[in-house]
Amino acid sequence: MKSILKPITAMALASSVLAAPAVANAGGTLRLDEVAVGEIDPSKASDYADSILMFNLYDTLVLPRQGGPGHEPHLAESWEGSGTEYTFKLRSDVNFVSGNPMTAEDVVFSLERMKAMGKGLSYLFANVESAEAVDSHTVKFTLATPYAPFVASLVRLPIVDKQAVMSNLGEGEGGMKDWGEAWLSSNTAGTGAYKVVSHNPQEETVMEKNGGYFLDVAEAAPDQVRLRYGLEAATVRTLISQGEHDIASQWLPPEVIKALANDGAQLLTESGTGAFYVKMNTTKAPLDDAECRLALANAFDYDAAIKMIAVTDEVSQGSAATGAIPVGMFGANPAGNGLSRDMEAAKAHLANCKYKPEDINLELSWIAEVPVEERFALLMQANFAELGIKSEIKKLPWALFAEQVSKPENTPHISQLFVNAVTGDPDTLLYGMYHSTAAGTWQSPEYLSDAKVDELLDAGRTGADDAAREAAYSQLNDRLMEIAPSIYGYDRQSVFAASTRVKAPALSDPEKAFGLDGMGFTFRLMEVAD
Amino acid sequence: MMPIARLLSKRLGTSLLVLFGVSMLIFAIARIIPGDPARIALGPNATTEQVAALRAALHLDDPVWIQYGYFLGDLLRGDLGVSLYTNRPVTTDIAQFLPATLELVLVAGFMMVAIGLPLGILSARYRGGIADNIVRIVSLLGVSAPSFVWAVILMLIFAFYLPLFPVAGRISDSYSIEAVTGFLLVDTLIAGNFRAFGNAAWHIVLPAFALALSGIGQATRLTRANMVETYDRPYIEMARSYGFPARRIANRYAFKPSLIPSLTIIGLDFAAMLGNAFLVEAIFAWPGLSRYGVAVILRKDLNAIVGTVLIISATFLIVNIIVDLLIAFINPRIRLSQRSS
Repeated sequence: MKSILKPITAMALASSVLAAPAVANAGGTLRLDEVAVGEIDPSKASDYADSILMFNLYDTLVLPRQGGPGHEPHLAESWEGSGTEYTFKLRSDVNFVSGNPMTAEDVVFSLERMKAMGKGLSYLFANVESAEAVDSHTVKFTLATPYAPFVASLVRLPIVDKQAVMSNLGEGEGGMKDWGEAWLSSNTAGTGAYKVVSHNPQEETVMEKNGGYFLDVAEAAPDQVRLRYGLEAATVRTLISQGEHDIASQWLPPEVIKALANDGAQLLTESGTGAFYVKMNTTKAPLDDAECRLALANAFDYDAAIKMIAVTDEVSQGSAATGAIPVGMFGANPAGNGLSRDMEAAKAHLANCKYKPEDINLELSWIAEVPVEERFALLMQANFAELGIKSEIKKLPWALFAEQVSKPENTPHISQLFVNAVTGDPDTLLYGMYHSTAAGTWQSPEYLSDAKVDELLDAGRTGADDAAREAAYSQLNDRLMEIAPSIYGYDRQSVFAASTRVKAPALSDPEKAFGLDGMGFTFRLMEVAD
Repeated sequence: MMPIARLLSKRLGTSLLVLFGVSMLIFAIARIIPGDPARIALGPNATTEQVAALRAALHLDDPVWIQYGYFLGDLLRGDLGVSLYTNRPVTTDIAQFLPATLELVLVAGFMMVAIGLPLGILSARYRGGIADNIVRIVSLLGVSAPSFVWAVILMLIFAFYLPLFPVAGRISDSYSIEAVTGFLLVDTLIAGNFRAFGNAAWHIVLPAFALALSGIGQATRLTRANMVETYDRPYIEMARSYGFPARRIANRYAFKPSLIPSLTIIGLDFAAMLGNAFLVEAIFAWPGLSRYGVAVILRKDLNAIVGTVLIISATFLIVNIIVDLLIAFINPRIRLSQRSS
C-alpha cells in the first residue's frame, strides 16, 4: 500500500506545486468567517456579521466604554442633555472615505435615512422626533418622551456620507428615491477605519485600511481583512490547521472548538451582552401559577447546563446566571452568586401550586436551527420528571416558532431562546421580553403581564441618572426572580477559536472588552503577526 | 423542415410549457412553507410595524393568484424581484452565482465522461478479468456514497492529511481576475494569466471530482453492462470472424450502440448535479447557485426561490434537449422517425 501511495503522493505534490500560487500567508491579512449573508448597508445591519461590518466601515457618535459600563465620545467630542433633548458637539477632523468632511448634516441625514427605511435596528430610534443641525458641527436630537438609554442606542446609528449617497440614489418613489439603498448594498460611505474592496454577500467581503482615518491605527493592525461567509465546520477546521484562516465564528460546535484548541488555537471570548432564557408561557396552565414556575426554575440543573456548553476546563460558552440580568449590566447581581438547583425548594413550590404534578404534561420546544437546545430539552425533561411532571419534546423550525408565538394559545409551554441587548443596555434586553405591551413576539413567549414589572421597566428607561436606573433594574431583577416568568439558564459567552498570530485585546482582556456583540471585532484594535 | 430542426422546435415548445408549469408549482409551494418571509427577512429584532410594511411591499397580503399575476408581469420585463436574503436583485445574484455552479458541474460532467466511459469500455473488454473486477468495485464505491460524503473524505485525505489541494474557494486570494464570463477557467485565460488558470484549475479538482464520483460510477457500470450485452450480438461475432482487431470491435462496433442509454443517463446525472451540488459547494465554500438555492429556501426568500428553481429547471431542460439532439445525431432511427412523422 505504501509503495502505491508514494508515487501518487509525489505526482499530486508535483502537480500542486506547479499550480500553487505564491500565497500561503499574505502579510497583514486577517481572515475570519461568519454566517451568510454579510450586509454592508449600515441602516440594515442587525445580526452579528452585519455588526462586525458596521463597526469597522462606519463610526458612531459614541462608543461603549471598554471594560465597564457607560459610553465615551467617538465622532462626537462631547454631549449634554437629558430627558427629551440631547446636543452633541462633533469632531471637526473627521472625513469620509470619499474625502468629504463629516458634519452635523450627515448625522441628521443618517438618522432620517434609518427611520425612513425602517429596517435593521431602526426601531431603536422610533422615539426620536427630530434631529437638527444647529451648526456645522453641532447636532440636537429631540425625543418624543424621555428615554434614558438614548445615548446607548447611538452605538447603532452609523453616520453615512450624505453627499456620496445623494449622488448615488437609485430608483424609487419620492424625492429621496431609494435612499441610496441599492448603492450602499455594494459600496461604503463611512468614516470607518476600513473600507470595502469587494463584497459578495454570500461569499466574502474584502476590506482594507482607510489611510485617512481620524484616529491613529497601529501598524500591526491588519492591512486587509477577508470576512468569509457560510463556511462549514469541517472546512474551517481544515483551513485553520493549514494556516489559511485566523478566527473561526462562534457558531462552530463546541467539540470542533475544543479540537482546534487541542491543536494549538487560542480561544477568544465575548460576553456580557445576553443570556440563555427558558421561557414559560404564563397564560397556559399550569404555568399561569407562579408557584409552578418557581418549582420548575428550582428543579432546573444549572450546573449540568454549564457543563454541556463547556469547551475546555477553563472556557465555556456561558457562565452561571445570577438572575434575569446578565452580570455586568445595570441591576445585575454580582458574579459568583450563580443560580443552582434546589430540589427541596422545588418540591415546596410544587406543593403550593394549584395544579397536581400528575395532571401536568408540558410541551418543551427547541429551535431546530440550534441543536444544543435539544440537549437542554432532554435535561429539562429529566429534571422535571424528578418532580413527577411529564413533558413532551417538540422540535420547531425558527420560522414556525416565530409564527406560533404570535398567539398565546399556540405558544408552547416552554421555549428556549438566546436573547441579547443590541445596544448593551438592559432596556433593549428586558423591555421586549417582559413588558406587557411587548408580549407575543419571539422574545416574549412568556406573555407576562405584571404591573410591578411594567412599572420598573418604565422606571429603568426614564431614570434620571445611572444610580436611579441601577436601582430600578436591581428591583426588577428581584421581581423577575420572585415570579419566574423564565428560567435564567446561563449568561451567554461567545467563544472563537483563533490562530495564535492574532492579538485581539477586546476579545481576550476583560478590561478592554466593549460589552456589545460584534464590537470586539474592531479590527483597528487587533494585531496580526506575519 | 429538417428532422433535427423539427425535433428541436418540438422540444423547445414542450420545454416552455414545462417551465410555465414549474413556475406555477414552485410559486405555490414556496408560499406553503411555514413561516412569514417578511419576519424571517427582517430578523428577530424587527417590530410588528416593520414586518407589516414589508408584507405590504411584497403583496403578501393579496390572494396568491394576484401575487402570481404581479410575478408574471415582472418576469416578462426580466425582473425576478429583490432577494430578501442578499438584499439584491435576484437576477444579479443568479448572474453572479450561476457561472460558479455551471463551471463546477461542467468540469464534473467532463470527468464523468472522460473517466466513466473509458473505464466502462475497459471493464467490458476485459470482462471477468482483474481490471474488470477492480473497475466494478471502484464504480460500486462511487455510486454507493453521496457526493457530500466523498467531499468530506477527499478533503480529509487530500487537503487535511496530505495538504495537496486547497480547501475552499475558487481561486487563491492573491489573484484578482476581472469577471468577464463568470467562469474563472475562462476568465483567467482571457486575462492571459496562466498561473491564475492553473490555480483555478487546482481549486476545482477536488469539488468537481467529489461531485462527479457517483456519476463516474454510474457511467462506468452502465457502459459496461450495455457493452457486455452488445458483445453477445451476432454482428460482433461476425466482426470477430472477419478478424477485426479487438480494440476496433470495442470502440467502433460495441461502444457506439451502447453509448445511447449511457448518454441519456449521463445527461440526467449532469442536470441533477445542478441541484445536488449544494452540499459539495457548502463543504468547499464554493460560491455557487446551489448553495444560494438552499439558503434562500431556508430563509423563505420567495423571489429568490422561484428565480433559482426556474433557472435550474431551464438548465435541466436545455441539457435534456442537447442530449436528445446528440442521441438523434448518433441514432439514425430517431432522425428517420422524425422525418416520417
